[in-house]
Amino acid sequence: MPINSVIQVQNLIKQYGEFTAVGNISLQVHAGETLALLGHNGAGKSSLIKMLLGIVKPTSGQITMMGKTVTHEKDRRQINLGYLPENISLYEKLTGKEVLNYFAALKRIDKSKVLQVLEEFGLEHAQDNPVKSYSKGMKQRLGFAQAILSSPDILLLDEPTVGLDPQASLFMYQKIDELKRQGCAIVVCTHELAVVEDNIDRAFIMANGMELASGCVETLRQLTDLKVLFKGEEINQAIAEDEFLNTLAVNNQLLIHQVDKPRVMQYLTQHCGVYNFSIEEPGLSDIYHHCMNNRHQNVA
Amino acid sequence: MFTPILTIASKEIKDNFRNRWVVFIGLILTSLSLIISFSGSVVTGELAVPELPMLMASLSSIGVFILPLTAILLSYDSFIGEEESGTLLLLLSYPLSRSQILLGKFVGHITVLACTIVFSFGLTAALIHVFTGTELSLLLPLFCHLVFSSILLSMCFVLVGYVVSLQVAEKAKAIAILLFIWVAVVLVYDLILLTLMVAEAVELSSQLLQVMILLNPSDIFRALMLVAAPQQDTSSSLSSLVQFPLSNLYIALTIWVGVMMLISQSLFHRKIF
Ligand SMILES: Nc1ncnc2c1ncn2[C@@H]1O[C@H](COP(=O)(O)OP(=O)(O)OP(=O)(O)O)[C@@H](O)[C@H]1O
Ligand SMILES: [Mg+2]
Repeated sequence: MPINSVIQVQNLIKQYGEFTAVGNISLQVHAGETLALLGHNGAGKSSLIKMLLGIVKPTSGQITMMGKTVTHEKDRRQINLGYLPENISLYEKLTGKEVLNYFAALKRIDKSKVLQVLEEFGLEHAQDNPVKSYSKGMKQRLGFAQAILSSPDILLLDEPTVGLDPQASLFMYQKIDELKRQGCAIVVCTHELAVVEDNIDRAFIMANGMELASGCVETLRQLTDLKVLFKGEEINQAIAEDEFLNTLAVNNQLLIHQVDKPRVMQYLTQHCGVYNFSIEEPGLSDIYHHCMNNRHQNVA
Repeated sequence: MFTPILTIASKEIKDNFRNRWVVFIGLILTSLSLIISFSGSVVTGELAVPELPMLMASLSSIGVFILPLTAILLSYDSFIGEEESGTLLLLLSYPLSRSQILLGKFVGHITVLACTIVFSFGLTAALIHVFTGTELSLLLPLFCHLVFSSILLSMCFVLVGYVVSLQVAEKAKAIAILLFIWVAVVLVYDLILLTLMVAEAVELSSQLLQVMILLNPSDIFRALMLVAAPQQDTSSSLSSLVQFPLSNLYIALTIWVGVMMLISQSLFHRKIF
């Protein structure tokens, strides 16, 4: 096992009775890396996270975190880990500061860190108000603050930005980025593909408990072989003038397979003298939909 | 080992005292306890309290209704509530064992209940001493029994609350089931037991009666107070029907607490999320 592989999952299976929630998943997350867990509702993302936490016992398979095998809750207690569950509503009757003080005490973290984190997350003005008076964004920030109180080595976030406005989401991902740069290994479950795309290192797409595809966005583009769109005034002109380009074009659009991208670029610059164009790559969202649609074809 | 338990306990205490109904129920218990002690004075026009054994029987009667109810109101959402809000899952991701979480909650809830009990009965005892001059040497042992057995009874029902809270899928179900248990155990069961007690014709019932007392913590509590403060002069003294010495009744109540603790621990440890 490579030293910097902080989370290592091998052939993980979780069955609830007859139903397979997670079926034979293997993955790795390195220090200073963000992995996005993507998948439809009920794909098994949260179950996977709960198994990483040792809260849910796998039916079979192996989990290693920070070099320790995790099969039970107690194995995980020595690991410095932060977690934000999905749909969490923190103790509404307590104030923001009391909530963080409580969690800090449970992790034996000094109270001064709580004040620092409250300030960092822009909650210091509301620290003495009860959590029930907080806005959705403030609550989510409080939950996130809770997860990073201990400056964790591993951060598991289950839909941290659900219901947040775009700016608030961005703020969360900036924080995630900061932690990543400090060497934290991060796993984030999310459905917000557009937001997550620029903020992750790798994506792991799953459906019905199985892996569909994984890798960095570039790898996924190659893997799915989604087409690239060449755009620009000069391109349109070239299509009209050049016979070869004309045969490639569909509806006057130059949509090219990933594998042909370098060759077409070369052809455009060297043969047609076209330099002024842009390339529209498929986004994570396109890749995701492609994977999901293909899954249905495979099933059918 | 103990620090996390105390951290969770103190959070529960803060949470529950902020919950005004705990204070409200505490005041009800206090008022009832004072009313029972001093209501005779209203009739006679001078300060007097009933004979101590009578008083103890009356105080244990209100205790047996109110304490289990308070205990279940305090504990019904401890697990299902935190499960619904997601904080239970979060706590499980912390460096804590499930036993520590359960014990932390238990210590917190019992502290809240013990404060209520000591305040209510303590104030009653103090006022009786001040206004009627009843000697402390007479009052104190009886009120100590009342307080200790009340705490044990509350422990039982807090744990019953946990057991239900760990089993159900929604908060509303937990409170419904617990209120049903409360009615069955405190009201219906007692009614049956009392009927048996007064039906002198049924000779055989004496042994059955002993068993029935042991099978219900609230009846152990009642029996305990009857034995602790026996009524001397009444010929058909109820206390003579209880054939256990005081110590055995304490042991029985403690066993109930222990068994309920084991059941709730094992349910929590086996709980799947
Ligand atoms: N305790 C359980 N008992 C039975 N089935 C369960 C249990 N927990 C989860 N499941 C099932 O396992 C499947 C995966 O659930 P999971 O919560 O992991 O999905 P998810 O990918 O997180 O979905 P979402 O995006 O909606 O959060 C679901 O079909 C769910 O019903
Ligand atoms: Mg989920």
